[in-house]
Amino acid sequence: MKILVCVKQVPDVERIVVRDAADGMAALDISNEFRMNRFDEFAVEAAVRIKESMAGASIHVITVGPGRAADVLKRPLGMGADQGIHLKTPTDADPGPAAVAAFIAGYARSRGYRLILCGSMSEDGLNGQVGPMAAAYLDLPYATQVIAIQPAPDPSELSIEREIEGGAREMLAIRLPALLTLQPGINRPRYPSLSRLLRAHRQGVETIPTETLRPAEAWVERLGLMAPPRMRASQVLTGSAREKADRLAAILKEKAFI
Amino acid sequence: MVIAPCANGRVHPETDELVAFGRRLQALRAGAIGVCIVGGDVNVAAREIAQRHSVPVTAIQAAGFSHYLSEPYVAVLTEEIEAVKPAFVCAPHTSQGWEWAPAVAARIGAGCICGVDGITECQGRLCFQKELYGGKVKGLFSVSTTTTVISVMPGIFTIKPAPPPCPPGPVTYKEAAWRPAQTRYVGTRQAGVDASDITAAPIIVAVGNGIGSPENIALANRLARRLPKAAVAGTRVVCDRGWLGYDRQVGISGASVAPALYIACGISGASQHVMGMRGARFVIAINTDPRAPIFNEADICIVEDIIRFIPLIEEACGRLAEGTKEAIDVR
Ligand SMILES: Cc1cc2nc3c(=O)[nH]c(=O)nc-3n(C[C@H](O)[C@H](O)[C@H](O)COP(=O)(O)OP(=O)(O)OC[C@H]3O[C@@H](n4cnc5c(N)ncnc54)[C@H](O)[C@@H]3O)c2cc1C
Repeated sequence: MKILVCVKQVPDVERIVVRDAADGMAALDISNEFRMNRFDEFAVEAAVRIKESMAGASIHVITVGPGRAADVLKRPLGMGADQGIHLKTPTDADPGPAAVAAFIAGYARSRGYRLILCGSMSEDGLNGQVGPMAAAYLDLPYATQVIAIQPAPDPSELSIEREIEGGAREMLAIRLPALLTLQPGINRPRYPSLSRLLRAHRQGVETIPTETLRPAEAWVERLGLMAPPRMRASQVLTGSAREKADRLAAILKEKAFI
Repeated sequence: MVIAPCANGRVHPETDELVAFGRRLQALRAGAIGVCIVGGDVNVAAREIAQRHSVPVTAIQAAGFSHYLSEPYVAVLTEEIEAVKPAFVCAPHTSQGWEWAPAVAARIGAGCICGVDGITECQGRLCFQKELYGGKVKGLFSVSTTTTVISVMPGIFTIKPAPPPCPPGPVTYKEAAWRPAQTRYVGTRQAGVDASDITAAPIIVAVGNGIGSPENIALANRLARRLPKAAVAGTRVVCDRGWLGYDRQVGISGASVAPALYIACGISGASQHVMGMRGARFVIAINTDPRAPIFNEADICIVEDIIRFIPLIEEACGRLAEGTKEAIDVR
């Protein structure tokens, strides 16, 4: 079984600084530290577990992004993926989910993948669109928010569970080839192994410029950023840590919590 | 065009919110609102929506429909949307809408924005607002395609239904074939967790990824013991790691809580978490990142390292308690 896992390189969200800009808008200072989207680790782990339980399975891991994005393939290769593919965009600008899905579909078409796995969304865009869109472009059955994958009695199917509101689960049977986007918590992603990382380093990745694939569609344009509104008082306590703790205790007392 | 969530035979409450969203759109861009509902038995629900909101409703009765499934749902909706050619398709940002909306958009070549929580006018263009970067900022997006597919965040847009004298909207009945060729619905299993420990607690000490290690959960437990009837809860990340049980998870895929006091320790404030604690009466957030989105949801914001700070809270409470005791002794 050939498995394709889609991963994204994202900036470290905690290090992002939001600044006020002109006209009530906001601007972002994005640090130069990038890492693999945390939600994608679950997709890589799920693929590695399938490979371990199935003779002859292989895992390709694919990313769309500028030159620096090739780095994001190292971790999945270290976790057990066999081959990395970098669809290289000409600029740093994120082409958006529709284009990313079209690029991935363009690459995956006619390469015989039985299963395509994605994370549920990316930490930066929070869109969760690439999976369903790639499935549509490839005309594949798909499911999102998948929280369990089991082999089915019929080897051309998988038994899966989707997580719906309140933690309930829909049980489905899906025929392969198919695309799944995985919920965080479906597994506990392993750490990459050093020997695999070294091997991945030697092996390198396949790089394909996105200009050679179906052109990107720029349908959705980001016009600006805004600081999120305050939903509550958001009173900031100041002073030393001890002063803040005293003030907090006083507030708890005042409100009769203690 | 509002796509009412598929809930066999029943009108889903999210329908009201989607109509409210449609009305907001209407206030900015003139146009007619129509609701479309797809399912196995939707005629009664369609009439109810037409009555309630005084809008035209298309009821697509799908023979063989037993339960929502992405594949046939996308096929039926794509056909209907291509026939009607609406400027906007509004879906709920739920496990259903978030699943089908991007696929429908890809099939019809429409721009798609998921998780929209606001509409504004920006540089003369209609802009849809949604969270980015874990909720640290909102992005304003504009779309250039003839049809735009939007999934609307639940719990944001509200509406009062049209008062009774309003004439009901017309209902159009259609039929479609339900062809789930590659996917099969097997059944639904309810969540097996009992979250009553946290839903009943008047005070919640909630921990996030910032707690750093399973051993540090003890800090939260100690603080909770200091506060009357407090329970410890956590974010999905903490529960997924096994640091807390799933019966302690707060958020859309866990429990919704409404305690008198919610102390968020090392929680970033992702919308999936926040939706489960919006009902809290008083919120204290402690986080090392001064721009963590949880601070927008807090009454009291403390920029500190929780590992160092939680013990300080206990000490401060202790000092306060002692102070009170002394005062009483003196008396
Ligand atoms: C479909 C779906 C459903 C989901 N459902 C839920 C749900 O029900 N509930 C839920 O919680 N999540 C849910 N999530 C996940 C959600 O998107 C976030 O990933 C999650 O809430 C983040 O958890 P966190 O705040 O603990 O972690 P992070 O986002 O990693 O945040 C950790 C925070 O701790 C701060 N920090 C780090 N170290 C310290 C320190 N020493 N002291 C103080 N602060 C520190 C950081 O600045 C950061 O803000 C869902 C996601 C999806 C896709």
